[in-house]
Amino acid sequence: MFVLPPPPRYPSQAAYNLAVANGQAAPMIETNNILTHPTGPEYQLVVGEGTYILKEDLHLATPPPHPSEAPIINPNPLATTPQPATAGTKISLLSFSSRSSAPLLYKIGTNGSTTSGGLQSSIQEHPNEGRDSADVIPGSSDGGGTSITGSARAALSIGSAPAFGEGNSMLSATGKDAGKRRKPKNNIAKSNSSFISRCIVHENMAKRLVDRPSDGYFAFANINRAFQWLDLSSPQKADHLTKILFTKGHCLCHDINQVTKGPSHIDLIMGFSTGEIIWFEPISQKYTRLNKNGIINATPVSEIRWIPGSENLFLAAHMDGSLVVYDKEKDDSAFLPEENGGQTNGNSEKTNGNGHNGFGEHAAKLHVDKSVHSKNQKFNPVSFWKLSNQRINAFAFSPDNRHLAVVSEDGTLRIIDYLKEQLLDLYASYYGGFICVCWSPDGKYVLTGGQDDLVSIWSVTEATIVARCQGHQSWVTAVCFDPWRCDDKNYRFGSVGEDCRLLLWDFSVGMLHRPKSSVRQRGSISSRFASPLQRAETQTSTSRLRSNSSASAEGEDEHTIEHPVEPRATTAMLPPVMSKVVDPDPLCWLDFTEESIITSCKSGHIRTWDRPRDTTASKSETTLASAS
Amino acid sequence: MSGLFSKFKGTSGTTSPGVSSPSHKNKKDAEPEPEITPLVKMLQNAGPIRNDGSDKFFGLENFGNTCYCNSIVQALYYSVPFREHVVRYPPHSPLDTPNGYPKIVTPIRAPIQNGGAVSPAKPKGITAAEAMKRRAAINAGQPVPASPGQRPEDKPDSPEYKKKHAMLAGPILELTYENASSYGMEESTFTALKDIFMALIANPSRTGVLSPQRFLEIFKRDNEMFRTSMHQDAHEFYGLVLNAVISNVEANAQRIRELGPPKTDDSLAQSMKAAVTSAAHAMGLNSGTQSPGTGWVHEIFEGVLTSETKCLTCETASQRDETFLDLSIDLDQHSSVTSCLRKFSAEEMLCERNKFHCDNCGGLQEAEKRMKIKRLPKILALHLKRFKYTEDMTRLQKLFHRVVYPYHLRMFNTTDDAEDPDRLYELYAVVVHIGGNAYHGHYISVIKTQDRGWLLFDDEMVEPVDKHYVRNFFGDKPGMACAYVLFYQETTVEAMRKEQEAEGLAEVALASQEADIALGHPQPNGTHPSSVSKAVSIPNTPVDENGEFVSLDHAVTSPVPQAPHPALRHSTTLPPTSTTSTTPAVPILDINKMRSKKDEEREKKENKEAEKARKAAEKAAEKERIKAEEKRRKDLEYKRKEYQKTQAEEVKAALAASKASAAEEEERRKREAGASGGPSSDTSKEKENGHEKTFGLSGLSRSHKGSKSMSRKSFGFLGGSGKNGTSSEKGSPSMSSVTPSTSQTTTTTGTTDDTAVEGVGELASSSSIQTPEKHSKTTKDRFSFSGLGRKKSNLMNS
Repeated sequence: MFVLPPPPRYPSQAAYNLAVANGQAAPMIETNNILTHPTGPEYQLVVGEGTYILKEDLHLATPPPHPSEAPIINPNPLATTPQPATAGTKISLLSFSSRSSAPLLYKIGTNGSTTSGGLQSSIQEHPNEGRDSADVIPGSSDGGGTSITGSARAALSIGSAPAFGEGNSMLSATGKDAGKRRKPKNNIAKSNSSFISRCIVHENMAKRLVDRPSDGYFAFANINRAFQWLDLSSPQKADHLTKILFTKGHCLCHDINQVTKGPSHIDLIMGFSTGEIIWFEPISQKYTRLNKNGIINATPVSEIRWIPGSENLFLAAHMDGSLVVYDKEKDDSAFLPEENGGQTNGNSEKTNGNGHNGFGEHAAKLHVDKSVHSKNQKFNPVSFWKLSNQRINAFAFSPDNRHLAVVSEDGTLRIIDYLKEQLLDLYASYYGGFICVCWSPDGKYVLTGGQDDLVSIWSVTEATIVARCQGHQSWVTAVCFDPWRCDDKNYRFGSVGEDCRLLLWDFSVGMLHRPKSSVRQRGSISSRFASPLQRAETQTSTSRLRSNSSASAEGEDEHTIEHPVEPRATTAMLPPVMSKVVDPDPLCWLDFTEESIITSCKSGHIRTWDRPRDTTASKSETTLASAS
Repeated sequence: MSGLFSKFKGTSGTTSPGVSSPSHKNKKDAEPEPEITPLVKMLQNAGPIRNDGSDKFFGLENFGNTCYCNSIVQALYYSVPFREHVVRYPPHSPLDTPNGYPKIVTPIRAPIQNGGAVSPAKPKGITAAEAMKRRAAINAGQPVPASPGQRPEDKPDSPEYKKKHAMLAGPILELTYENASSYGMEESTFTALKDIFMALIANPSRTGVLSPQRFLEIFKRDNEMFRTSMHQDAHEFYGLVLNAVISNVEANAQRIRELGPPKTDDSLAQSMKAAVTSAAHAMGLNSGTQSPGTGWVHEIFEGVLTSETKCLTCETASQRDETFLDLSIDLDQHSSVTSCLRKFSAEEMLCERNKFHCDNCGGLQEAEKRMKIKRLPKILALHLKRFKYTEDMTRLQKLFHRVVYPYHLRMFNTTDDAEDPDRLYELYAVVVHIGGNAYHGHYISVIKTQDRGWLLFDDEMVEPVDKHYVRNFFGDKPGMACAYVLFYQETTVEAMRKEQEAEGLAEVALASQEADIALGHPQPNGTHPSSVSKAVSIPNTPVDENGEFVSLDHAVTSPVPQAPHPALRHSTTLPPTSTTSTTPAVPILDINKMRSKKDEEREKKENKEAEKARKAAEKAAEKERIKAEEKRRKDLEYKRKEYQKTQAEEVKAALAASKASAAEEEERRKREAGASGGPSSDTSKEKENGHEKTFGLSGLSRSHKGSKSMSRKSFGFLGGSGKNGTSSEKGSPSMSSVTPSTSQTTTTTGTTDDTAVEGVGELASSSSIQTPEKHSKTTKDRFSFSGLGRKKSNLMNS
């Protein structure tokens, strides 16, 4: 392993000297990513199960400003001109290997009790043993694996959860020839678009794609106005496979379609600070622009995700508080809210917005401006939901592919049944906005992180807050479960924040410390009234592990959608099991893979922390050896 | 500071100001006078002026490094409970009718546009040029830096430019005198602060500049540290002002107690208070009827800290309570205010040289100590300790740590027995320090106003900003601007939600604006037609209908000759007829929708109502005056007895003053009656002032303008005789001793400061100049595409 010297930052030394002599800003050229391997005790995370060690630090090069764009240096600190939205480096990880996908903890049927024992022991020793049978499925050449095709995935994990927009013939008509993957239309390398500045493709990209191990990780990462495609399994991982530079828009979020992914095809969507969306297929280097010039919604896209199981549909959160479903293959059309939402369920959201909650004067909490069931599906958007006028900071799909957790700047967490386009629950932060959200692998819990420096654990089945996790010293920017260290009773999750810290937390259902006079019986479902989530389950006959028979009896009206803030005195507090500064800059993203924890920060450092190794030759170790 | 400057120099855009200046100049010359400022734009169609002062947006003049004062005073003014209490205290003075005071008459330095309209009676209208000259004289050596061709204030968008035009637009309220005696108090920091508040509230204009000269003089008189007119610490100033206010109010209460007002007056005061203000209860008449409320400052700002100390030897815990007016919190890099507060309450070991004397085991022992909050204040002021001594303790350095602060806050560090430990606070003001160290720099404040969103107050300049702007001062952005004092006020979840829903609408417009900026074309966000119209209408919504009632009350009583009287004056009755009859109930939301139609109707109505109100007011005033006269006579007798016992000298003078001003008032009223021809003349004048919506009220309030000029005269008269005269004489030497030092320091410290600021302005303007071109370019792009069919354009553009 060798380390390349830092590349020159300037076109030539002479040019640099000239510029400095003239008092001008030094002209900068495109730089390369830098891979380093810092070692030492400060690069180790000591947790109960062992020590995580920093494997590498990949520093993405921040591109210089676009030539057409004067360097935005406004030294007047009081300048009141609004600044465009930006985001730190976020990463979309992609692996074709089935092994690399997280263990499926969301279970169907009643196999929970048998696997739980094995899993529990696995947490103590080998995180990779005793996992579901999904592991064993060999990855086919097509990238078959666990959940490649929509139907397979649905059968495997969703059970009877219908696809989004099922029953709308207008919608289903579009995606019939699923055998062939359709590609976007335009070649990005030869593009003369005003939106894309240029695209730099690695000269050996084809060779690198062939040579790489099939189970390695690709990473797609945004930094500033650049977007990079990296191969984390390659020895020359610092060299990007493709780098796209945009002119003005910054890519704020991106996601890979898990249904259509394959060695010959990757569907990637990116959301931009301009509100525009790009559907990009990196292997053929083709792209299509959606929401062009913000025709559907002109506000920045803060989060974008493919709808689970769907080949074409994805959901984008715009900063004006709307959630918009787009079809990657449809053309845009200027959008006006359709009267009364969709024809089929126009009444339901009306009532749930105004009728049920205690705060009657508030506007609808979920207003369906266009339903997925609308017959007018020739153009984008497929559906359009307006939650509030506050910025949506993040959302996440539940593992049962039925629910959506949305967090916003106004400090609300919404649980939405997106299939029914219905708001189920509305929770409030302790104070300040929420920044991030994720689901537990079994779909029972939702984590949020926000401006109150807290990670909050919410039980969706019980419709209550479970605990507040105190330990960050600044805002929490990303939360993520570690599915390799979760079973049906114990959960491991991590969080990163503006305090540059990575915190790891262990939380088990029965062992929560509750402050003195807590009355609630958390962790046992039977005692509590049922939430609509449970009801939905029972109604659709997806019998979840412990879903209760008494639940179905409850009427819809008894359920309150809005849940007030629980006082500090009655809410359990959870301390972290590990807290460490892992980066000099505020962190903004976190994910767990089988071998490691990966973090990224606002200035483009991607750090990979290897999981503790056992003395026995575990699977993870061998893969590590092969990777490095 | 020099570092900052060099930074500017280093950027390519501003290498040579001389090169870019001609273009700026040409542009400026080509354009007529600057269009309406964003603030004025926002205040269009604002409806009638309220008399609680919540819709006054005045800049404060900087006399050279007095921005520490301006930023704090603004933050205090927009604290609703504080402002209300300041206005209402002392309760025995004729309150609630600030315009009734002959002496709330603030001399107005004539500005350009409405110089003639302001003072029709007297030729005091100095021309704008003169005014500017005077300003220049006062600010001698302050801003005027380097290149003669290009001054910073010539560049639009530079702060200097905006400040200059704020001064030009006026009105400039000149607070160079004191009204203390009329409040029945000795001149003090409190009375001077009250003067500022009253002058702002009384002035018929919504915008302008106030010159807090007298306030500073008095403050400097009392606080030696601040006499140097060097850069000062805003937080220190805040603490001193609050403490001064407390002690002044208490001293006054003490004095009144000694004077022992008669029972009748007290009961009158009570009834009046009950009638006039419900909030008066908050004044806390703590020590019975005899003492007027002095607890309000405590009640607003004061919290209680408990320090729990646990002796590690004998395990006994002891508690000690102490009060605080603000919390000074240590900062860490990359932390949040929440975490800093938590650290503030973290356990601390008392050991080694810092051992704890345990009463139980006797002697010094090791102990654990932690500070928790036992009682939360209504307004929580957080002082971020950005200034820290260097290792060698020789000088203060500034910490540029990134410390994030949320818009809402709850406190984690409360004691178990604290009342309402989950109290929700909202951020309402941020005092920002700009500069590289503790000895230089500039203070500004960003304040959330009741219903106008966030505003930036930079000395003379006031500018609306969006909510996200507040987050520019975490400390990591270029420009060295960091939040220094944060003001949180208590709120409720319901209020928060309500507000979020309202501001969300504005944010929609803003966000799409941002997107457009990023896209490079200014596109009306046609995607949300509904939200656009809402966004427009929302900011114009008045807080409550009360405002209208109140303002009318205020209008009614305004012409009443409220002679200043020490300690014992009551505006006893508020004519109930006027309150009920005059309810224009202008739904401001409607204004936008159907202005054109209803406008005329409404105007007529308003005029009528105003007329009615005026008549009623005059009647009431007459009645009240008679009453007041009687009472005054009584008071006088009583007082005279009192005088012989006590010092009495000043009171006599004040009495004389009251009489004199009463006479003045009489005279004025007579003349007024002749002068105020009708609503038509009023309207024309008001239009000149740019307040077309406020006929009735402004017609009335215009009379105050007249009264102002008169009462100034009366003050001059007062100055010649009696105690006031002596006090002002006392004041003047101190004032003159201050001014030379001001000019001195501005030449020394001011220059470095200004160059930097100039640099800021240059860059700001240059960048702003570039954007329009960019915009036009990209819009062209867009248009060319829009000519094509959708599919085609899709292909071509991408």
